[in-house]
Amino acid sequence: MDVSDLLKQLDRSKRVVPPQENPLVSIKGLTKRFGKVLANDNISLNIYPGRVKALLGENGAGKSTLMSMLAGRYQPDAGTIELDGEPVRFTSARDAIEAGIGMVYQHFMLVEPMTVAENVLLGQEGSFFLNPREMRQRVRQLSEQYGLEIDPAARVSDLSMGEKQRVEILKLLYRDSRVLIFDEPTAVLTPRETFHLFEALWKIAAQGKSIVFISHKLEEVLAVADEIAILRQGRIEGEFSESEVTSKADLACRMVGKEVLLEVDREEVSQGETVLQVRGLTGIGLEDIHFELHQGEVLAVVGVAGNGQKALVEAICGLRKPPVNTMFIMGKRWRDFYAKPSWKNSLAYIPEDRLGLATCRNLNLVDNLLLTTRQGFARGPWLDKKKAAQDTTELIKKFDIRPGRIAALAWQLSGGNLQKSVLARELYRCPRLIVAEQPTQGLDIAATEQVWNHLLAAREMAGILLVTGDLNEALQLADRIAVIYRGRFMDLFPVSDKEKVRRIGLMMAGVERE
Amino acid sequence: MSFELIIALLAATVHSGTPILFATLGEMLTEKGGVLNLGVEGMMSVSAFAAFMICLTTGSAWLGLLAGGVAGLLMGGVHAFVTVNCLGNQVVSGLALTILGGGLTEFMGTPYIGTSTEGFRPLMLPLLSDLPVLGPIFFRHSILVYISYILPFLFWFFMRRTRLGLAITAVGEMPAAAAAVGLKPRRLRWFAVTAGGFLVGLSGAYLSLAYTHLWTTGLSGGRGWIAVALVIFAFWRPFRAVVGAYLFGGVMAFQLRLQASGTDIAPQFLLMLPYALTVLVLVLSAWRGTRRSQGPGALGVNIEPEG
Repeated sequence: MDVSDLLKQLDRSKRVVPPQENPLVSIKGLTKRFGKVLANDNISLNIYPGRVKALLGENGAGKSTLMSMLAGRYQPDAGTIELDGEPVRFTSARDAIEAGIGMVYQHFMLVEPMTVAENVLLGQEGSFFLNPREMRQRVRQLSEQYGLEIDPAARVSDLSMGEKQRVEILKLLYRDSRVLIFDEPTAVLTPRETFHLFEALWKIAAQGKSIVFISHKLEEVLAVADEIAILRQGRIEGEFSESEVTSKADLACRMVGKEVLLEVDREEVSQGETVLQVRGLTGIGLEDIHFELHQGEVLAVVGVAGNGQKALVEAICGLRKPPVNTMFIMGKRWRDFYAKPSWKNSLAYIPEDRLGLATCRNLNLVDNLLLTTRQGFARGPWLDKKKAAQDTTELIKKFDIRPGRIAALAWQLSGGNLQKSVLARELYRCPRLIVAEQPTQGLDIAATEQVWNHLLAAREMAGILLVTGDLNEALQLADRIAVIYRGRFMDLFPVSDKEKVRRIGLMMAGVERE
Repeated sequence: MSFELIIALLAATVHSGTPILFATLGEMLTEKGGVLNLGVEGMMSVSAFAAFMICLTTGSAWLGLLAGGVAGLLMGGVHAFVTVNCLGNQVVSGLALTILGGGLTEFMGTPYIGTSTEGFRPLMLPLLSDLPVLGPIFFRHSILVYISYILPFLFWFFMRRTRLGLAITAVGEMPAAAAAVGLKPRRLRWFAVTAGGFLVGLSGAYLSLAYTHLWTTGLSGGRGWIAVALVIFAFWRPFRAVVGAYLFGGVMAFQLRLQASGTDIAPQFLLMLPYALTVLVLVLSAWRGTRRSQGPGALGVNIEPEG
């Protein structure tokens, strides 16, 4: 069954939101930087007992950073956290758990070969010898109290993701946590498991505990939250109670942001041949995708993250197999194209994960250049490192990559310089098709502008598929825009169609479909 | 082969399988905590020598046994310091211990080659030793063998039914999860490595005090490596370790008897048997391996400081 149908069964009328008491947790002016990136900028937020608070925002908006500070994983650079009106400082997750604040992470912290009961009671005080029957009994009681059905004797490695999550929740409840934070908890769940989780969240909140629900999924937030705070680019963009929400589209727009921060001049480039053709692609999480991409144009795929962008990019870039005869790259069938990939005049991928998928963190710029272009520097089995070093030096100058040393290791570069080095490498290959995924996420304005200009210039040789969650980026660069929602293109239209551009927010929220 | 001969062979199997069992359980405890220790071979020879020397000078086999255990514990401590505190490579540290242990005993033990000591003598268990067949096979050994009969049960009980055992399992599987619930991963690993070292030390003591009763070079004779392989073969479970230890004990005893009987088979071939079996066993356990047969999740992975 579809998740939205199931969520409709969540009966709001049964949910009694308690009156606003003194806040249990009060966050005041929290700021956190990672290097040059300002992840959280002076954020203040109150969390009340008995209520479910949703933190809504795009990937990279700073939701997880904020909650990780509350859960003791990071220390804030500025600002204070108050618990019951008293300022507190956590130096580790353990401190926070002892104070009654616990977080369920996306990656579970469970010992797989041990049983549910053993995991829940691990690290708790007690006698030296264990009594398995008593342990199971205690966990069973707790699970019945909160309606989190689980077999205490089962091995964690045999459990489904939803059941594992329940074990994590039980761990927190067993430690008398008063604030339970969930980081994108539904990402790993089936629709039915999501439904059960939400029921459990209400049950836990009804016992006076506070729930914080981190998510970028609008409909889930609207289904379960009592209060919603929207985070964008490290700031609170808006805060209101569930009953105040009038339009889904408004939420979506606030999440993504509409104001123009940066403009670039975009001249039309004459279009050439078709470099990518997708015909009726259904499967791998996508549904009935049709489009063509020509050399000389930018096609932006916009949408809230997690709506099928990943699958589409992975299939185009050869990381995942699309259904037969649905994808044609440079006129060749997908299978034939990837049977004999060529390093030059071919496809270039600029991944979202710059320091993982795009580069090797401990290699220098020359070796990182060679990662995708080594065929150009090979003589038989030998690599021509001297020429590679020369060309890297030229690229560093041309793309203004700092520090200007070829010996710099990838991890030493700032996000913007690293991204420019990836662009330099990929454009060196004179690609005909470029797939750029969130190419300016986390970059400052100057670096963003440079990346945009490089991409626009690259239209001379290539067609560009731009996958982005930044609406402004799409409007600045794209010739055409496709809005993706739950694996489908809601619509595909030229950027000159002002009427449709205006309705992008609605489409991203899945409200409107032509 | 006559009936008496088979009985004698099986008794010898238990006799030569016991030190392997001690060492295997020691390495198993270490690995349960997430630390790979390839120094077993070197730890065995050092502790065999320590046990021998203390027994020789004090005349007490029990003090000798204790000395062997402590020697193993100390060498385990070196490994724990290098890997847990200094975050050194576990493979390199273990290999260094093996080389160090071999060299050290060679160097210090040379003057004593051929010297004998009383050590542990067989202890006939009343009633049990008179049982037909079982008596001569299982109950006419030194007290260390009887200890080794209960040890796997103790091991199982410790790992599955005590808080400390559970914590060690957690640290071997996922140190981050253990730390998150307030356990002290480094301290737990120290315990696993040194307590495991103590058990390996007992196996060394067995060799010099109950197996040969005299000092000779190369006493450990590759048993340490066999123990490392047996942990994998045993899927990190104590009762399977018993099967493996006696399997190897049997092969070792068998090739000795065969050599003594003046067979035509080349002695080199017979000497090779235990090691060939090691390779075979490892191949087999890898081949039919399932999820449950895999080792602790964080085995060989050091605990990096947070941040």
